[in-house]
Amino acid sequence: MAERRGECLWKKHVAEQLKLRDREQRQAFEEIILQYNRLLEKADLQAVLSERYQADKYDVQRGHESSAADSSRSDALQQEMAQMRIRHQEELTELHKKRGELAQSVIELNNQIQQKDREIQNNEAKMLEYQQQISSLEGDCRELRSCLQDLERANQTLKDEYDALQITFSALEEKLRKTTEDNQELVSRWMAEKAQEANRLNAENEKDSRRRQAKLQKELADAAKEPLPIEADDDIEVLTEDAGKAGGETSPSRLLTRTPSKKISQQPPGGLLDSISLMFGYVGVCVCVRVSVCMSVCVSVRAGSGSSVLDHLAHSSALSLSLSHTLTGHSGKVLSARFLLDNARIVSGSYDRTLKLWDLRSKVCMKTVFAGSSCNDIVCTEQCVMSGHFDKKVRFWDIRAESIVRELELFGRVTSLDLNHDRTELLTCSRDDLVKIVDLRTNAVKQTLSAQGFKCGADWTRVTFSPDGSYVAGGSADGALYIWNVLTGKVDRTLDRNHSSAINSVSWSPSGAYVASVEKGSRAILWSDM
Amino acid sequence: IMADDKDVLRDVWFGRIPTCFTLNQDEVTEREAEAYYLLLPRVSYLTLVTDKVKKHFLKVMRTEDVEEMWFEYEGTPLKWHYPIGVLFDLHASNSVLPWSITVHFKNFPDRDLLHCPSSSVIEAHFMSSIKEADALKHKSQVVNDMQKKDHKQLWMGLQNDKFDQFWAMNRKLMEYPTEEGGFRYIPFRIYQAMSDRPFIQKLFRPVSPEGNAYTLGDLLKEMYPAAITNDGEQKRYQVVIHGIEPLLETPLQWLSEHLSHPDNFLHICVVPTPSD
Repeated sequence: MAERRGECLWKKHVAEQLKLRDREQRQAFEEIILQYNRLLEKADLQAVLSERYQADKYDVQRGHESSAADSSRSDALQQEMAQMRIRHQEELTELHKKRGELAQSVIELNNQIQQKDREIQNNEAKMLEYQQQISSLEGDCRELRSCLQDLERANQTLKDEYDALQITFSALEEKLRKTTEDNQELVSRWMAEKAQEANRLNAENEKDSRRRQAKLQKELADAAKEPLPIEADDDIEVLTEDAGKAGGETSPSRLLTRTPSKKISQQPPGGLLDSISLMFGYVGVCVCVRVSVCMSVCVSVRAGSGSSVLDHLAHSSALSLSLSHTLTGHSGKVLSARFLLDNARIVSGSYDRTLKLWDLRSKVCMKTVFAGSSCNDIVCTEQCVMSGHFDKKVRFWDIRAESIVRELELFGRVTSLDLNHDRTELLTCSRDDLVKIVDLRTNAVKQTLSAQGFKCGADWTRVTFSPDGSYVAGGSADGALYIWNVLTGKVDRTLDRNHSSAINSVSWSPSGAYVASVEKGSRAILWSDM
Repeated sequence: IMADDKDVLRDVWFGRIPTCFTLNQDEVTEREAEAYYLLLPRVSYLTLVTDKVKKHFLKVMRTEDVEEMWFEYEGTPLKWHYPIGVLFDLHASNSVLPWSITVHFKNFPDRDLLHCPSSSVIEAHFMSSIKEADALKHKSQVVNDMQKKDHKQLWMGLQNDKFDQFWAMNRKLMEYPTEEGGFRYIPFRIYQAMSDRPFIQKLFRPVSPEGNAYTLGDLLKEMYPAAITNDGEQKRYQVVIHGIEPLLETPLQWLSEHLSHPDNFLHICVVPTPSD
């Protein structure tokens, strides 16, 4: 900067000095010298002219001496001179005019030049501005392009990632499909193997059971021969009643089980069974059979209008109620079984999640359906089999089509199913301690029955309709027997004084006058005056 | 800044000296000759611009009395091969204007002056000055690269007083490679009024080895230290170029580019300060 200022200083000094010099040396004298030279020219011209005139004058003087005739010549000469003078003056004025005009045009041209210079400067300034704009726009353009490139790159990366993920996904899908296939294959193979095993065991059990049947028949025949006295300290007692009605009769007769099951009431000896049935004299005994832990199955029978059942049973033995057949095939404990309405077939539900359809004439399993969940109870109508399951669902099966028509989901594991007399209502009991009545025509829960103390004691706690459908009976985990009035929906009676452990199952007599209940502690109570 | 430089070039080119030519009294004339006034171009040469003078004075003389015309100022014959501006600054810079030159037609001083029979002699002298200057500046590369017509253009520009025509060619001689920072050597001549030496001319670089630009003061310190006034002293000498006194800190390279004469030399006159 200092350099620039210093530079300006000496440069300015030089420029100023030159201007000063020109003023003193040139401008001061320019005009004068010009005019002087012009005067000089004029003077020269005049000198030339005057010389000529002088020469002429001498001639004229000489001419005067010679003759007067020369006077005319001198006149003519004078005239010529005057004319020349006039002409010269004219020329001079013309030249002055021309000079003025030229000076004028010079000034005009100078002005034009200055104007043009100014225009040029303006244009240059504008051009500079435009160039700056252009460069800034170019800068912006470059920035935008680089932005765009970055975005494209990012986009490409995302696309690549997506493709990679897509590939992984399809690979995993494939794996899943294959695994599912393998699983299905394995399941079907397993089922086939189990079926084979069951068949094998069936055959064995057939032999076994036949042997045992023979043995039992013999024993029963022996036992029947002896009369058995009834004593006071038998396990039959008469209970007086306090609150609810208690009929202290005998425990309901039981159909045979091979080995005592853990859960149920005790098995009375065969003789007792015998005598009980004779006492009652009609069909109406509820029997429940529980599945033993081992693999073969005992048929459980619940007498519906079941005289035919007993007749059927009676066929094969001298007395009624002897073991007729053992149907094997289930791979888990059989939790429930029913005669179909044609009484020629039995449908059974098992812990092994299947339902099996048995033909009694051929005594083989006709059909197995995989229900998906352990079946706790079964009821059937003419076309439909309803099964209640561990997975809280009640499944409605069409007998002919052998497929699920409908499913009804409850809020707890289904422990019991019962149909009313005209098979329009389904009674369900579930582990959420609610007893629901479902209208089969609308498939909606018509009524929910509950009681404060009512709790399901096991996964197979049974509740039943009364024969006229106006009462529902169910046993609770604390040993109390609850009777609900269907019309009111409220508990009609609570019989809680006689059972000491959880009640597993209850059953009404066909007349509706008696209720039999069995408890986990191997006791059965028959209630009267219902 | 470039505009200012161009102004400087123009002012230098169009510099004029008002001159009064008076015929020597001893010349024989038929009648009295009036003085002839003329504005002489500083950058030109006497014999190139004085045709009118000759014509004017020949009017009053007899042809048999006319020999080669020569000029003198206050007794000193004026060398026509010096630029007119140099002659004025050297001999008459502080005298009253106009410059009074006496015209002679007789007794040509052979010992002091060169003969000038025709303008081609002036041309030859002018071109040789240019070549000498370029030899110092560019080792003669630029001037040798020019064609004959370019040389002619330089001469015609000077002869016809055409600034643009001259500088169209001369600017090539003023260029230098940027890394050098200036010419190789500066072509200059320092004239002294009272001296037996005609002038001082030596090799002098415009840029120091460290890259600093030398100034007029540096040149004078080196070549003519007496010209520089020390602090406290009275100024004894004026350093005149083209009729002005540039500041001593003016860079020498810039002076050579802008204040040279058309013959590409920087003519510097050192004259005693007028003591009035």
